[in-house]
Amino acid sequence: MNNKKITNLVIAVLFILAIIGAIFLGSFLGKKIVQPKDVNSAKEMQKFTTSFIDIFDTRTEILGFAENEEEFDKMVAHIKDRLIIYNNYYDIYNDYEGINNIKTINDNAGIAPVKVDPEIIDLIEFSKEMYYETNGRVNIAMGSVLNIWHRYREAGSHDPEEAELPKLEDLKKAAEHTNIEDVIIDREAGTVFLKDPDMRLDVGSTGKGYACQKVMDYLRAEGYDNLLLSLGGNISGIGRRIDGSYFNIAIQNPDLTSDEAYIETVHIDDGQCVVSSGDYQRYYIVDDTVYCHIIDPDTLFPANTFAAVSIITNDSGKADAFSTAVYNMTYEQGREFVDSHPDVEAMWVYHDGTKVYSEGFKK
Amino acid sequence: MKKNDMILIISILLLAGAFLVGYRRYQIMNTGDNARVTVTVAGEAYGEYSISEDRTEKILLPDGNYNILEIKDGYVSVSEASCRDKICVNHAHIHYSGEEIVCLPNKVIIGIINGEESDIDGFAGQ
Repeated sequence: MNNKKITNLVIAVLFILAIIGAIFLGSFLGKKIVQPKDVNSAKEMQKFTTSFIDIFDTRTEILGFAENEEEFDKMVAHIKDRLIIYNNYYDIYNDYEGINNIKTINDNAGIAPVKVDPEIIDLIEFSKEMYYETNGRVNIAMGSVLNIWHRYREAGSHDPEEAELPKLEDLKKAAEHTNIEDVIIDREAGTVFLKDPDMRLDVGSTGKGYACQKVMDYLRAEGYDNLLLSLGGNISGIGRRIDGSYFNIAIQNPDLTSDEAYIETVHIDDGQCVVSSGDYQRYYIVDDTVYCHIIDPDTLFPANTFAAVSIITNDSGKADAFSTAVYNMTYEQGREFVDSHPDVEAMWVYHDGTKVYSEGFKK
Repeated sequence: MKKNDMILIISILLLAGAFLVGYRRYQIMNTGDNARVTVTVAGEAYGEYSISEDRTEKILLPDGNYNILEIKDGYVSVSEASCRDKICVNHAHIHYSGEEIVCLPNKVIIGIINGEESDIDGFAGQ
C-alpha cells in the first residue's frame, strides 16, 4: 500500500466516524437537558413525576428533580410517610390503632377531653383562626350539618332516581351545634374537648391544605428544592423548575363537558400554592339541580354562585380555607376579602364560563 | 472546482443530513409513536397500550366493576365506567406525558409515558 491509499483510508474512516458522531450529536441536542442551578455540580438532574391514590381519599402527585429514579423514589417515600401521618390524624371517618384522631374527638363529644398529638391541636387552632379571619365562612365545627348533606349526597349518587334534599328543619336543628367556641383546646394538657355532645368536627375545608403546608415546610427544612406537590388538586411548590423557570400550573375547567381541560394557566414562584373550590366534582343532582359539597353556613345549603373559585397564596392551609370561604361569599364580599389580603389572589369562574380576576392573579 | 472542493461540499451535506436524521430520530422517539398508555389498578400494573393504535379496552376489576378505555387518534379517554361519580368519564381526554385519568372508586389510574411533553407541571383542581 502506498501513502496515498493509506491517507484515503484514514480519511474515509474519519468521515464515517464523523457521520456517526453527527447522528449522536443530533440525538443528544434533541434531549432537553436540565442543568442544576448550582454550576459547580456536574451532576445532571432529571425530571420525575409520580402519583398515588391511597392518601386523603384523593390523588397525590409529586413532580421533582433528581439525579436518578432511586433518589426520586427516596424523596417520594419520605413525602408519603409524612402524608400518612396527617391522613391518620385528620381522619373523621376511620379509627387507627394506637392513635387518637379527629374521629376520636368526635366520638367523645360531650363526654371527655381527648389527648391528641400536637399536630392535631395545631390544625384545630389554625382552623379556628380561619373561622375568625373569614367571618365564620369556614367552620370546622359544622360537622353535624355536613354529615346530613354527606348522607343525602351518598344516597343520592348511589340511587339518582331517589335523590332528595335534606329537610331544612333538620339542617337548622343540626346548625344549633356548630358553635366554634364549644371546641375547647387545652394546649398544656394536650387535649381537645367538644363541649356540645351533638357537635362534630369536619376538617374538610382545612385539613388537606394544612397537611400539605406542613409537609412542604418539613421538606424545605430537610433541604429539598424544586418540588411540586399536588394533594387532590391543592398545588404547592418549593423553589422553581431546575432551570430556574416558574412552575406552570393549569387550573381545571369546571365545565367537564368541555374539550378544554383547563381554563387558565398560572406561573407560581417559590412557596406559592394554588387551590380551587367548585361544584364540579363532588355533588349530586336533585330535580336537575346540582348540589355540591360546599355548604354555606348562613343558608345551610350548597353555595351556587360560582362554578369554581381559585386562590393563589403562600400558604396551602390558608389557600384551602380561603377558597372555601370565598366560594361561600358573593363576588363583592369575596373581592373585598381578597383585596384586604395583600398576598392573596383569586379567580372567580361563573357557570357560564365568565372569569373574573383579582388584581394580581395573572402576574 | 477542484475534486477536493466537491468532496468537501458533499461531506458537509452528508454531515448535516446525518445530524438531521439523529435529531429527527430523537423527536420521533419522544413525541408520539413511542408513547404508551399505562393502566394500574390499586397500584398494580394492569396493562400497557400504544397510544398510536386506536382501540377500546375494558378494564375489568375482579369485583365486576369496570372502566372502558378508549384510545383514538392519539388521545385517551374513558367512555364508560361502573363507578358512581363518573369523574373519569367526565375527564377531558389526555395526550401528554404525565397526564392522568383517575377513577378513585375503582382505584384505576390511566396515564401516559414517553409521550409528547406538555408545558404544564401541575393541575389545580378540586
